[in-house]
Amino acid sequence: MAELKLLLKYRDVPGIENIDVWESCGGYEGLKKALTMERSAVIDEMKISAVRGRGGAGFPAWIKWSGVLKHTDAPHYLICNGDEGEPGTFKDRELMLKLAHQLVEGMIIAAYATNTDKGYVYIRGEFVEPAKSVRKAIDQAYAKGYLGRGILGREDFNFDLYIHMGAGSYECGEETALMSSLMGERGQPRLKFPHGALPVDAGVWESPTLINNVETYSCAPHILRNGGAWYASMGTERSKGTKIISVSGHVKKPGNYEIELGTPLMEMLDLAGGVIGGKLKAIIPGGSSVPILPAEKCVGVNMDYESCQAAGTMLGSGGFMVFNEKTDIVILMRRTAEFYAHESCGKCTPCREGTRWMFKILDRIVSGAGQPSDIDLLLNVCDQIDGRSYCPLGDAAAWPIRAGIKNFREEFEYWITHKKSPIGDDCVPPVPYRINPALIPLS
Amino acid sequence: MDKENSNSITPETDERTHCKKEGRFSSNAVAELEEIITHYPNKKAAMLPALWIAQREYGGYITPEAIREVARLLGRSKAEVEGVATFYSMYNFKPKGKHHLEVCTCLTCGCVGAYGVVHKLEEMLGIHLGETTPDGEFTLSEVECLDWCEAGTVIQVGNKYFGHVTKDNVEMVLEQLRESDDHTPTSLADDIVKILLPEGEPKSKVE
Ligand SMILES: Cc1cc2nc3c(=O)[nH]c(=O)nc-3n(C[C@H](O)[C@H](O)[C@H](O)COP(=O)(O)O)c2cc1C
Ligand code: SF4
Ligand code: FES
Repeated sequence: MAELKLLLKYRDVPGIENIDVWESCGGYEGLKKALTMERSAVIDEMKISAVRGRGGAGFPAWIKWSGVLKHTDAPHYLICNGDEGEPGTFKDRELMLKLAHQLVEGMIIAAYATNTDKGYVYIRGEFVEPAKSVRKAIDQAYAKGYLGRGILGREDFNFDLYIHMGAGSYECGEETALMSSLMGERGQPRLKFPHGALPVDAGVWESPTLINNVETYSCAPHILRNGGAWYASMGTERSKGTKIISVSGHVKKPGNYEIELGTPLMEMLDLAGGVIGGKLKAIIPGGSSVPILPAEKCVGVNMDYESCQAAGTMLGSGGFMVFNEKTDIVILMRRTAEFYAHESCGKCTPCREGTRWMFKILDRIVSGAGQPSDIDLLLNVCDQIDGRSYCPLGDAAAWPIRAGIKNFREEFEYWITHKKSPIGDDCVPPVPYRINPALIPLS
Repeated sequence: MDKENSNSITPETDERTHCKKEGRFSSNAVAELEEIITHYPNKKAAMLPALWIAQREYGGYITPEAIREVARLLGRSKAEVEGVATFYSMYNFKPKGKHHLEVCTCLTCGCVGAYGVVHKLEEMLGIHLGETTPDGEFTLSEVECLDWCEAGTVIQVGNKYFGHVTKDNVEMVLEQLRESDDHTPTSLADDIVKILLPEGEPKSKVE
């Protein structure tokens, strides 16, 4: 198991953003094949492929697809989650920028399979260039009859695809908050199952709604073209296929790498050229929301959902951040807490107040005023947020901090006792030379 | 029914009236919004697009008139429009400099030199984070991950991204920007509105 390019196979083909080049690489063949099949048979292929959602949670895609198809009353809606905001993750950006036709084709296949005639690509507001590529791909697909009325001569298949641009909010990547935002509201989450309806039953405008990540939809053309069994022949027993891993931080060759699920974590690091600037200290394998792994725990872990979980972390969205020995974990955790405090939508108290508390305590520690009781206080705040917040952002704020303390407790203690970094003056991130009150609107 | 809640989307002033003076969208902007509304089952859903149009129409930020106009055109209350707009960090409520420098200091960038870049920019521009230079040329902000971490440190300026910025080469970024006439907060909004609109004729609509 190693690098295996499927979604990124044509990334570097010149002109791949144009529809004719994409077609010459086998593009839109998956769609054509799907249109010769029953809708439910398309979903069966997805089921055989066992492809799981690539937005973070890893939920089997076909279950959502069939959940929408089972509603026979119109209308249905299709949404692509292109809000990518998880620190350390940048795969959707590249998939939209360079391979927008792959995404559009995947969405058309999903629209057919779920009997849906309207769809939206929700793209984060900052992603102007990637969104321009998606715009161009949609316009070209209309011109060729892949979108619109009576697609490829099929009288019974109409699909219109629109772009909806976000306006700066990490929380809008959470699927129910995204739906609020799409409907013209503040990007705050909605009640979820079992307290509220599932999106597949009553999502946007109370209608059956399919929401998947950019990478998830981008798998569909390949699965339809080559068959679900072919896709399922890759990966591990429960994590099938490939995953794009965004590697950044202290590595020689940062960037997006597509690997077969189950590839050893250390091999992933080698693929990206290995650590630079000192020895390996820690890796966050799945985006800022997942627990950090100290170097000694990285060995023996594989890049798949189960192995990462067994190691006490998660594959998440595949944001693989590498930190060398110059990294000060306490300052890193302070910056992580700052992110969540800034992005908390404010709807529920545990997260709104808890994330600010975490930031304030961590900020106090790195400003030299930490108390010996602060470590336990931090853990206590984590417990008060985790499992008690309205949406998973709260949990995702607590996990990294708790893992940081669990794995690097002595660095927190050092900071509190000596009022300076255990790494030294040249640590990264640097000791905050000035606390920036502007970033966090403390009430 | 008061004016704010009227369902009409026709501009109440004619084309000759200058948009800013009257606080109204230009007729071109109204036409864009009308097209965008057809993308959704109801007008309310066009809220974010309408605010993007407003940000462009009113010079790169959302003014009280902009709120009033969006409310009128979409048939919502001003309080609701303001409540939505203020949730999102990319809508500005104060004028920004011609070049709005948004430096990512998040996890990866923060570990590969972003704070040095911020510090250098503060020195060169003579302002602190969150401030605008007196000549109105530059605003300096700190932002969360821009999801281009492989090129850290990353700076977004309107619709442009600068990657691999270091404290030693950031001067080149400023030089490049000084040569451009673009008012970046406005051109960013303009680009986004263009992205929302399909090319050419309105597409065949599924009823
Ligand atoms: C705070 C938060 C942020 C999220 N951000 C994203 C995101 O940017 N992109 C994404 O695809 N999923 C994101 N998710 C996950 C979505 O809620 C949802 O699970 C996903 O879009 C479903 O698609 P998938 O099944 O294809 O993964 C986020 C979740 C949370 C709790
Ligand atoms: S956990 Fe609560 S405050 Fe935090 S983002 Fe979710 S709903 Fe908002
Ligand atoms: S951390 Fe700066 S772009 Fe992701």
